[in-house]
Amino acid sequence: MSTERNVAQIALFTALIAALGLIPQLTLAFGVPVTAQSLGIMLCGTVLGARRGGLAALLFVALVALGLPLLSGGRGGLGLFSPSSPTVGFLVGFPVSAFCTGLITERLRRLPTAPAAGIAAVIGGICVLYAFGIVGMSVALERSLGEAALLVTAFIPGDMIKAVLAGLITAALYRARPDSVWSRA
Amino acid sequence: MPSQTVLLSVDAVDLRIDGRDVLQGISYVSDARRVAVLGRNGSGKTTLARVMAGLQPVTGGAVRIAGVDVAQDRRGALAAVGILFQNPDHQIIFPTVGEELSFGLKQMGLPKAEVAARVVQTLAQFGKTAWQDAAIHRLSQGQRQLVCLMAILAMAPKLIILDEPFAGLDIPTAMHLTRVLEATEAALVHITHDPRVIAGYDHALWIEGGRVEMQGPAAEVAAAFRQAMEQLGARDDLTHLSG
Amino acid sequence: MISLTSPVRTRAHGWPAGAKLLGLCVASVVLFAAPYLAFQIAAALAVWVAYALPGWLFFWYGVRRIWPLWPFVVLLLIWHLFTAGVGEGAVIALRMVTAVALANLVTMITSLEAMMAVISRLLRPFARLGVNLRAIELAAAMVIRFTPVLADKGTALSLAWRARSRRRAGWRVIVPFMVLALDDADHVAEALRARGGIGLDNKI
Repeated sequence: MSTERNVAQIALFTALIAALGLIPQLTLAFGVPVTAQSLGIMLCGTVLGARRGGLAALLFVALVALGLPLLSGGRGGLGLFSPSSPTVGFLVGFPVSAFCTGLITERLRRLPTAPAAGIAAVIGGICVLYAFGIVGMSVALERSLGEAALLVTAFIPGDMIKAVLAGLITAALYRARPDSVWSRA
Repeated sequence: MPSQTVLLSVDAVDLRIDGRDVLQGISYVSDARRVAVLGRNGSGKTTLARVMAGLQPVTGGAVRIAGVDVAQDRRGALAAVGILFQNPDHQIIFPTVGEELSFGLKQMGLPKAEVAARVVQTLAQFGKTAWQDAAIHRLSQGQRQLVCLMAILAMAPKLIILDEPFAGLDIPTAMHLTRVLEATEAALVHITHDPRVIAGYDHALWIEGGRVEMQGPAAEVAAAFRQAMEQLGARDDLTHLSG
Repeated sequence: MISLTSPVRTRAHGWPAGAKLLGLCVASVVLFAAPYLAFQIAAALAVWVAYALPGWLFFWYGVRRIWPLWPFVVLLLIWHLFTAGVGEGAVIALRMVTAVALANLVTMITSLEAMMAVISRLLRPFARLGVNLRAIELAAAMVIRFTPVLADKGTALSLAWRARSRRRAGWRVIVPFMVLALDDADHVAEALRARGGIGLDNKI
C-alpha cells in the first residue's frame, strides 16, 4: 500500500478518535451515556492492527500534548502529562494499549472477527491500559497500587461493554469494507 | 524555437482492473485550448481523468502532457498538469488556505521565499489576500472549490483537468468559477456528462464503455452525444442505465 | 480547530518553546524535591501570580483547565485525614495542582507551531533511522483538518439515524462513521498523490 494511503488512514483514524470526543455522548447499552472516545482507542487496534493502530494512538496522544483539545470535553495540553496528573498513566498507555489490541486481533486468526476483536479489546484496551493508568495514578497521588486500582474499578463495567462493542463494530466493518480492516488482512 | 511537442497525447491507453477492461485503446492527440470529454456515468471518463493526471497507472500505452510522461515523471507532471475534482473536501489536505496553497509549490521544489511570494500573488489575483490564514472549515462549498482552484493555478500547470468540478454548486458560484477558468492561460480538459457546460469549447472526445465513441469539433460531438443520451433516456428500460 | 494556546497574548508567547519546556522540567523536579508545606504554598502562590499577570481572562481560563482535579484534591485530603495527617495530604494535593497548573501554563503561552518546531528538531536525528518527518508533519496537519469535518459528519449521521428511529443513535452509528473516515482517507491520499506524494524527495 502506498505511503500516502498509509499516512492518510492513520491520520484519519486519529481524527476519528478526536471527533468521537466531540460529538455528544452516545447512549450505549442500558441507557448508559458514555463518550465513545475510549471505544475509538480500542478500535484503533482492532481495525488498523498493531503497527498502524499504535501509530494512530501515538499521534493522538502527541497532538494532545502539543496543545490540541482532542480529548473528550475539549481537554488537552501538557497539564495532562505532568507526572502529577492522575490520568497521565492512561494517556501514556493509549499507544501501547492500541498496539497490544492490534497484535492480539492479528494473532487470533482462527477465531471469527467479533470474538477475536472483543478479546483483544479486553486484554489490550482494558488490562494493559489500566495497568498503565493505575501505575500513573498511584505515582501521582502517592498512594499504593491497590488503592489506585480501587479508584478505577468503577469504570471497568462500562469499558467491558465497550470491548464487546468494539468486537461487534470491527466485525461489521469487516463485512462492509474488508480491505480496510488491516488487522485481519 | 517553437516547441514540437504536442500539448496532450493519449497514446493507445488500456486499463484492466480485476479482469475488467475499464479503458480500451484510447488514443487522442490535441493542442486545443478547450477540450471536453463527454460520457455517461460509468463510461470510464473519470478513470480517464485520473489516467491523464498520472494518478492511475495503466496496463498499456502512455499519456504525455507537454512531453512529460505523467505516470513516470511525477515531478515533471506537477508543472505540467493539475486536476480539479468535484468535491473540494476530497482534495483539501490542510486546515488553512495558506498552507493548502503552499503545499504543491513546496512539492515542486521551489525555495521557501518563492513559495510564499506565489501564494501571496495568487491570493491577490483573486482578491482574497485576507484568506491567507483562514480556516478551511469556515468556508462554504463554493469558496472551498475556489481554494482548490487557486492551489492548482498557483502551480501554473500547462493543462488543467476538470472532473465535473461544478456539479453541486449553485448557479452564481458555478458561473463565477467558470469565469475564473476562462481567464486562465492553461489549456482545459473538462470531463462531464452535461454537454451544456462545454459550450464554446474547441474539441471533444466522447467516451462510451471505456472506448472512444467519437471525437471531433466540440459542437458536433456534443450534439451527437445529446441525441444519443436523449434516446436512451426516452426508453422505459432501466437495464441500460449505468451503475 | 483552535489549539489551547491562550488568545490573550503575553510576552511569554514569544519566548522560545524549547526554553519554556526545559524550564517546566526543571520546575517540576524542584517541586518534587521539596515536600515542605511552606515551600509548596509559596510555589502555588507564585504560579497563581503568573496566571494573574496577563489579566482576569487568562486567569479564568487557567482556573477552568485546572478545575477537573478537584475530586482528587478532596480524595487526597480525606485519605490523609484518616491516616498520616492532613498536612502531608495538603502537600501532595498542592504539589499536584501546582505542577499541573504550571504545565498548563506552558501550553497556554506556546503556539502549536512552536511546539511542532521543537518536536521537529528533536526528531531530526532519527530521520536517518527511517523516521519519515514529512509524513509526520502531514499527518498532524491532516488530523487538524479533518477532525471538525468528521465531527460534522458524525453529527449528520446521528441526525439521519434519529430521523428514522425512535431512539437516539447508539453504537451502530460508529460503523458508517468509520466507513466515512476511511473513504476520506482514500480521497486525501489521492489528493496527496496528485500533488507529488510524500516520497518525492526520495524520488519514487
